[in-house]
Amino acid sequence: MANNKGASTAVAVPKNGKTVAGGKWRRLRQNCPWLLMLLPAVLVVFLFNYLPIYGVLIAFQDFMPGDQIIGPYTHWVGFDNFIRFFTDVQFWPLMKNTFLLCILGFIIGFPLPIIIALSLNALKGKRTAKVIQTIFTAPHFISLVVMVGMLTLFFGRYGLVNNIIAGIGGDRVSYFLEEGAFRPMYILSSNWQDFGWSAIIYIAALSNVDPGLHEAAILDGASRFQRVIHVDLPAIMPMVSVMLIMSIGGLMGVGYEKALLMQTDGNLGVSELIATYVYKQGLTGVPDQAYATAIGLFNSVINVVLLIIANTTSKKFSENSLF
Amino acid sequence: MRSIPERMARGSPGGGPAARANAMSEVLLKGLKKVYDGGVTAVHDVNLAIKDKEFIVLVGPSGCGKSTTLRMVAGLEEISEGELYIDGRLCNNVEPKDRDIAMVFQSYALYPHMTVYDNMAFALKLKKVPKAEIDKKVKEVAAILDITQYLNRKPKALSGGQRQRVAIGRAMVRDPKVFLMDEPLSNLDAKLRNQMRAEIIKLRQRINTTFMYVTHDQTEAMTLGDRIVIMKDGFVNQIGTPVEVFDKPVNLFVAGFIGMPVMNFFDNCKLLYENDTYYVQIRNAKIKLDDFQQKALKQNNQPACDIVCGIRPQHISVGEGDLVATIEVNEMLGSEVNLHARSDADEVVMVIPTVDLTVDVSQGATVNFTTQPKLIQMFDKATGNNLVWYDADSANANAPVCKSYDF
Repeated sequence: MANNKGASTAVAVPKNGKTVAGGKWRRLRQNCPWLLMLLPAVLVVFLFNYLPIYGVLIAFQDFMPGDQIIGPYTHWVGFDNFIRFFTDVQFWPLMKNTFLLCILGFIIGFPLPIIIALSLNALKGKRTAKVIQTIFTAPHFISLVVMVGMLTLFFGRYGLVNNIIAGIGGDRVSYFLEEGAFRPMYILSSNWQDFGWSAIIYIAALSNVDPGLHEAAILDGASRFQRVIHVDLPAIMPMVSVMLIMSIGGLMGVGYEKALLMQTDGNLGVSELIATYVYKQGLTGVPDQAYATAIGLFNSVINVVLLIIANTTSKKFSENSLF
Repeated sequence: MRSIPERMARGSPGGGPAARANAMSEVLLKGLKKVYDGGVTAVHDVNLAIKDKEFIVLVGPSGCGKSTTLRMVAGLEEISEGELYIDGRLCNNVEPKDRDIAMVFQSYALYPHMTVYDNMAFALKLKKVPKAEIDKKVKEVAAILDITQYLNRKPKALSGGQRQRVAIGRAMVRDPKVFLMDEPLSNLDAKLRNQMRAEIIKLRQRINTTFMYVTHDQTEAMTLGDRIVIMKDGFVNQIGTPVEVFDKPVNLFVAGFIGMPVMNFFDNCKLLYENDTYYVQIRNAKIKLDDFQQKALKQNNQPACDIVCGIRPQHISVGEGDLVATIEVNEMLGSEVNLHARSDADEVVMVIPTVDLTVDVSQGATVNFTTQPKLIQMFDKATGNNLVWYDADSANANAPVCKSYDF
């Protein structure tokens, strides 16, 4: 009996390579200040990211505003809302519009900050580089509404571009009513707004490159461009990999705000995205929140699948991965 | 300038020893000066002629300008004033890659994403040397440095010593006229540093080219260098062989910097000149100087004056003489004992071979000590210059060496 009692007592002595409970408590006490510092962040993430997942349940219900999510009158419908979306006449156009807008934006938008960061880093005049970086970063702080307002001022029927066209004898074009103009305007303006901001993370990574590597490369006879290729680019590759995985993971996660602001009857065929459709289904007219949630959940599942594929691929072919 | 393939075509593998034997690789620094943008002068008027195949070591405390001087030779720092000649060619405005030099960095500066092989081959690839020749050269150098088994590894998978070998190998494959090394051993632990120091000596014997080596470690300087350049605050204080800078320091700084433990300095000493004979007065001990010192001081017309006397710890013998000290710390090292003692206001360190110990040197014991007169260094109290070895002409030319005498 005495032995059994002794065995169950928490003693902070490693036993068979494992630390017994007392050790864990001691570690917990030692880490207490750091855990307390983490607590607010954990609470925020839990409240705003994990708790709302509960609401996802309505994707599997015939839910009407005012209903309880789980209650005696909850009407579970299984995957009906998903099947309804897959058979919706809008399904393929929405998928195509969202995918094309995102993939084109990604193709242009992902390498641009890397190129900008490498170029700024290679500039001899550091003062000039900082001024250019500030100029490139500033548009990030323009609100979406102002951004679309600027697009209207430039590309509206009576905007700057049309005034120039009219000035040289051409016909005015209503770019906002043209389907072909929506994606270029959307993607280029988004990239113009964000490439400087996105470059910051790469510029920060480049600032950690050992200057000795550049000096060694200079002595080895590398030109400025060769140094960028052989020293700078490999140095930021881990960061590029992480950003690539995150970008692919969020590929289909385009927001509805800008598309909605730029949307007109003329360009609806290409500007209607999953996000705008979810907004319209869930919050306008007669709201069908269960259906909107199902569409949103489907979109999120695609993103998670893409994230896992990207992460696994990166892990297989390089040494970098998120998890 | 001959290209690598040309040199390699001259017979010996990689254009190595045979090609180098014919190539002169003298380096001449004429009034080299470095002034930074803020007006800070890091290097003042350095004059140095490095002979072909000479191993020259720049040594000094942090911030003395030794690395800046090396970097000016490498072309990594712009030369503010003065001229740099490599192999007789003015190189002030020559691109680093065209100076035919190679450099080993303190941080190794190995490309982390490349294998050891690629690191070593990189410079040759940029020069568009044929692949077969690159392969031959890299493998040959790897064999010399005993890193063949690591050629497919990346730098992060190597130890500090192995990385250092790769860094040296990367420089070697270029078959440079001049090897520049910027504190290459300072990132290694003491044991590995000693090993690598010996490796560098062997390497030097093997590749036989001109070396410029920067270090703050005087042991490295003494053991590696054919000549040592001792710098302080951007000025060259003395250029000389290891024996010269140890035995004939031109000023107090050199005397204090070279030697371990550091030289003992006795303040408030006097140089006396009586009846055509020079003496030094240290406390109550009046010591007649050696014949050589007598002649040198007479040739310099040295008047009697206040001086600082310097005596190396290894040159002190205990149990005799008129000087007295009280032992404060006794460090037994086996073959010798380091005694830290106090003699009036001065701390005195003595290194005594254990076999020579005949008196009690335990803590608190009082011992008499002395030295041979010829081993006493005498420094002018006002200028700090050595009364015997300071050479005004070479110092004025900013290439200070110890004075030579005909007798």
